[in-house]
Formats: sequence, C-alpha cells, structure tokens
Amino acid sequence: MKNKRNMLSLLLVLVLTVALFAGCGQEDEQGSTGTDSTTTTETDTTADDATTEDTTSEDSSATSDQTTIKWAVWDIASTTYYQPLIDVYEATNPDVKIEMVDLGSQDYMTVLGTQLSGSDTDLDVVTIKDIPGYVNLVAKNVLEPVDTSGLDLSGYGGMTEQIEINDTLYALPFRSDFWLVFYNKTVFDEAGVDYPTNDMTFEEYDALAREVSDDTLGSEVYGSHYHVWRSAVQLFGILDGEHSIVDGNYDFLKPYYDMVVAQQEDMIAQDYATLKTSNLHYSGAFAQGNIGMMNMGSWFIPTLIEKIQTGEYSEISEGGNGNWGLVKYPHAEGVEPGSTLATITSLSVASASSNKEIATDFMNFVCGPEGAEVVAATGTFPAIKTDAVVDMIASKEGFPSDDASAEALKTSNTYLEMPIHEKSAEIEVILNDGHDYIMTGTMTVDEGIAYMNEEVGKILN
Amino acid sequence: MKKRKSRISRETRNNLVAYSFIAPNLIGFCIFTLGPIIFAFTLAFMAWDGNNPIQFVGLENFWALKDDTRFKAAFINTIVYAVTTVPLTLAAALGLAIILNQKVKGRDIFRTIGFFPYVASLVAVAAVWNMIFSPGAGVVNVLLTNLGVAREYLPKWAADPDWAMFTVVFFSVWKSMGYYMVIYLAGLQGIPSDLYEAGNIDGANAVQKFWYITVPQLRPTTFFVVIMLTINCFKVYDIIYMITQGGPGTSTLVLVYHIYQTAFVTGSNYGYASAISMILFLMVLLVTIVQFKGERKYANS
Repeated sequence: MKNKRNMLSLLLVLVLTVALFAGCGQEDEQGSTGTDSTTTTETDTTADDATTEDTTSEDSSATSDQTTIKWAVWDIASTTYYQPLIDVYEATNPDVKIEMVDLGSQDYMTVLGTQLSGSDTDLDVVTIKDIPGYVNLVAKNVLEPVDTSGLDLSGYGGMTEQIEINDTLYALPFRSDFWLVFYNKTVFDEAGVDYPTNDMTFEEYDALAREVSDDTLGSEVYGSHYHVWRSAVQLFGILDGEHSIVDGNYDFLKPYYDMVVAQQEDMIAQDYATLKTSNLHYSGAFAQGNIGMMNMGSWFIPTLIEKIQTGEYSEISEGGNGNWGLVKYPHAEGVEPGSTLATITSLSVASASSNKEIATDFMNFVCGPEGAEVVAATGTFPAIKTDAVVDMIASKEGFPSDDASAEALKTSNTYLEMPIHEKSAEIEVILNDGHDYIMTGTMTVDEGIAYMNEEVGKILN
Repeated sequence: MKKRKSRISRETRNNLVAYSFIAPNLIGFCIFTLGPIIFAFTLAFMAWDGNNPIQFVGLENFWALKDDTRFKAAFINTIVYAVTTVPLTLAAALGLAIILNQKVKGRDIFRTIGFFPYVASLVAVAAVWNMIFSPGAGVVNVLLTNLGVAREYLPKWAADPDWAMFTVVFFSVWKSMGYYMVIYLAGLQGIPSDLYEAGNIDGANAVQKFWYITVPQLRPTTFFVVIMLTINCFKVYDIIYMITQGGPGTSTLVLVYHIYQTAFVTGSNYGYASAISMILFLMVLLVTIVQFKGERKYANS
C-alpha cells in the first residue's frame, strides 16, 4: 500500500514538472505575429495564413547582427499589403527584420495607448488607426515628431497639414481611403432597375434604394445598408464642406438622419438595433447578396476582390467574377459629385523606441512613393494617390470592369472624417450615443440632435 | 554537559514557521494588490496620463465629478443593477435549491443543468443570449409576434434604453444562480431534520415550515450570499461589455465601465479614473462594514 502511494505521488510530481516546462516552451513559438486577432467575423484565407506562419518561424531565428523592428498593426490575417511591404523592405535592407505585432482591430487605439504607456515599450513603428486616438497619443508625448527636412510632402495633397498638431507633424500618411457606394449588380438586374450613377443627389439615391427593395418575408432585399458606425450616416452632412463634426452644432445632420430613419422604418435598410446586437460585419452583410447599395470605405475593395477570388463570397459572384460595382458618394444639390469622406491611416515612430533611425527609415519607405506602389499593387489606396496609382487599382484583376466603377475612384473634394481637435475622443463618445439614440428610435431625430448639441456644447466650453 | 538550547525560543520558532507559510501569499498580495491600491489612492489626487509628469491637483478630480453626467448615470445604474440582481438571484437560487433538495427523479441531472450556466464561457453564452434576444429575428421577439404583439411595441431588448438593463439583469441572474444554488444546497442540508419533524407534530403546513424553520436556519447562508452578490454586482463589467457595451446611450453604463473609458478610451485620464475608483471603493467598503456588523448579529459562531 505504502509503495503504491509513493509511486503515485512520484508520478504526480513528474507529470506536473513536465507540464510546467512544456508551458514554458510554447512562449517563443507564439511570438507576436499571432493570427488570433480580436476582430469580427472575418475568416482567414489560407494564403495569408501560410505567409504569416513563415514569418513567425523566420523571426525566432533572427541573427544577432540584425535589428528587429516591431510594427504594431491590426488584422494581419485579412490585410493584403503588410507582408509585401515587409518583403520589399527586407530585401533591400538585409540587416533589418520587421516583426508585426497584431493588437486586434476592435480596440486597437486603446490597446496601443496602453502599450505605449510608460517609457519601456518594445514597439518601434506604430500604425495610427484614427484621429481621436492619434490626438491622445500626441498629448501623452509618446510619438516622435517626423523630421520632414528630407521628405517631399507634395504627394500627399495637403493631407500632412491636416494632421499637424501645434504645427508639428507626428505621423506620415500611409493609406488614404475614401467612401464610395458599393452596389450589387445582380440585385438591380433582378429588380429591373438601372444601376446607380456617379452623379446622384441624395433624393435620387433614396428613390433608387426604395425602387430596388423588396420586403417579402423570407426573401427580403434591402435597397441600402448602413453599417452601425455613426460615420456611415452622420458624415453625409459634411460633404458640402461647410460644417465639421466637431462644430458643436449638429442641425445640419437633420435631413440625412430623416432619410435614413425613414428608410429603416420602411424596411429599406436593416434595423440598426438588430445589426448592433448581432455584430454583423458589413462584409458579411454585403456578401449575403440581398443588399442593393452599401456606403463603405475603399478599404473594402481589396478584401472584396480577394474573397470573391477564393470563392468565399459565392453569393455575390459567378464563377469567380464579382457582380458588384462602385459609384461615387451621393451629393446634395449644388455640391460637386465625387465629394466624399476620407480617412487617413498613418505610421509613426514611438518616442521610446530604441531603434529610431531604422524605424524612421522603414516609416519613410512605407509612406513614400515606393511603399505606395507596393500598396497599390494589392488594390489598396496609398496616401500618395496619383493618377497612375488609381489606374493601377482600377486595372487590377477582380476590380469591376465597367467604366463607372473606374470613374468612381476619382474624387473631387475629400473631407477628413474627424478633424484634429483636442477633445475629439470625448466628442466621439457623445456622437456615438446620439447616433445610438436616434437609430434605435429612442429619441426622434430632433431630440437626438438637440442632445448632441447640448452635450458637445458642454465639452467644448 | 547539557546541550545548549538554541537562542530562539520554541514559541518564536513556531511563529516563524507560521509566518513563512503565509509569506508567499502575503508578499504577492502586497506587491500586486496592496501596492497598486495605495498608488490608485494617491493618483486620485493627481493628474496623470501615463507619460507626462504626475501633477498634484488636490480635490479637483472629486470636484469634477459633480458635473460629469456620465458618472452620475453610471452611479445610478450600478445601484439599480445591484438592487435588482441581488434579490432576484437570491430568490432563484433558493427556489432551485429547495426544489432540488427534495427526492425528485433525475435530481443530479437537474443540479448539473442549474449549475451549467455559471461554468459556461461568458463570451459564448453572451453571444447566444444576444441572438435569442435579437430585436429583429430573435426567438423571443418571434414568439411575442406570434402572440399578437404589434411590431411597434416589440421591445428592442439590448438595443432599447428601457429594456437594456432588464436584459442584462436577466442574463446575470440566469448565469450566477447556479453558483448560489450550490451554496444554498449546502445550507439546506445543514438544517437538522428533527426541526421539520417537530414542525409536523405541531401541524405546520409547507409554507409555514418554510417561513418559520427553513428561512431562519438559512440566515447565515443568506447573509453570505447577499454580501457576495452585492460586491460582485458593484464590480460588474464583463457582462455589460458583452451584452450592451454600455447600453444605448448611458442606460447600462456602470461605474467600472466608466472608469475604463475614462482611463483608456477618451484619453488617458488616470487621475480622474482613480478618483471614480475611490468612490466605488467607498461604496463596497460600506457594504463590507455592514457585513462585519451583521456577522456578529446574524451568523452563528
């Protein structure tokens, strides 16, 4: 009996010790390029998975005379241009290894802010996802000012001035996306309705959405789809260039909210409350094939092309060819067609980085003309947007072949989604609340706008 | 020659052995819990964003609380959440425990089913809950439509400011009642059966037996359950995040959620967030003091 008990306890100790060391061993392999990002329902493509895993195994064998630069990004698995950029840069700089750190897309700027807190961070280059987070990071003094002495900023079309804070530039624009209307050709064909055009007023857009909708139970067709972000609805209002989202007075939003709320009530667009609680991603919604038009950013184009090519979005393609097209954003009367919203994704160097020169060099490469070409080859819009770049994207395989779609890529006036403002993060919270209230029907459009006016007024004073 | 005794007396040596057993836990507690708590208390009187130098601002953070509409909403919501969740969970747990203490067929299976929600992953269960209560296509609303409720009167559950708190409380009760059911089962099994026999002799019916025997005997257990529930309710964050993300507007914004937003989302306001945390700490401290006073009165020694 005693022998048996001794054996058993010895075995237990052995098993626990082995388990302890087995746990230790795993750490290096996981590294920081994990593909488990906390995103919504995007599924990985096998091609991207393979490339990322290759990088992981390469990274852990970086030799001692190589510098490793850590690059904070999001959604590695579903982004097509990170790896090509790294490959080109590492080919010309063999003593540098770029290691990506995926912070997840959902709370990216919050996680980044926490990662950069304190003076001990191992991130060298960081991607800046939105303006309110950017303003916060600059206020915390964690971003290195950009040395613009050797750079030609004219290619950015004035964008760098828009992201200056106190006349200092803290980041370089890397990608610049703008909003368009994606439409499903099959839906329009089946309804016998003409496709949307590149010159639609909001009334025409609304009428078109209503024409193509079908509310028969079980085979609903939604003429329009508004993703749950407030920017999908509110930013219709800034297209005339006369208002800004940090003004403090939001009466100019009324006609657009009226249109969208009416569409929602008449089942032209899906119910906001349902979309919000079911976490339906806009890509999933469009891929279901029952949406006529959806307003979304140009970053969706490469994802759409790729998922159609791999066969994942079978509902909106036939034999590998997508049945979708693009047109310019609708415009109010008297506003130039092609006026749309722009978002900038930028790169910055962390001021606590220990490899600032190499990090700056990588940043300049990615945001400069060479990086722009690599990005454009994947169908994504770089910040340096020349006519050549636009043509390259329009001629990419999988891009809609009709002239209107290529024409849609040419924008006239672009307005930043959220301009630089020191209280932008707090204002964003109020505007999100107001959007929630109006779209769920808790407040009428007038009450919601009054709420936003009042609360933002308090913040601005 | 007599062997010289060690200079350390036996009593001291016993004490040292005892201290060395609790030392690892105590050191861990001091470094990882007590230290940060004290730091948070000092931060409540400072302004800091994690990178720039810390600045002393005295009571300014607390003064700013009175103008913060979100803080007031969070404070009220937390209390409402606690005041509704605690009695409902308690009643559900007690009811389940009493039923499952009888000799019913398949009792063990039902006990497992009752305990299962507590063990299940919060993320998975919350996602399914949102699907069931989805305003457009969820089971609950489909059922209500079939019962004749018109579309305009259908509640939008987690996306409806009037019903969001109810949805969250309902979820919370369902999820945690299993755990307290087990505690109550233990308490019930500790009641001596001769008390019930005496009750039978006196001609008590089931309701009287419940009120005059079961409830008083369960007082220490109930006390423990109430305190645990209340403290957990004040600390709630994950349930709110998974179901409503603070609710339409501020209808399910709770204190911990507001602290997180202030500290990490709307700019790194660590000082102000620490001040709000102090308020939360004082609330929980109040509950704990009540417990200590009541322990003497209600719990059997």
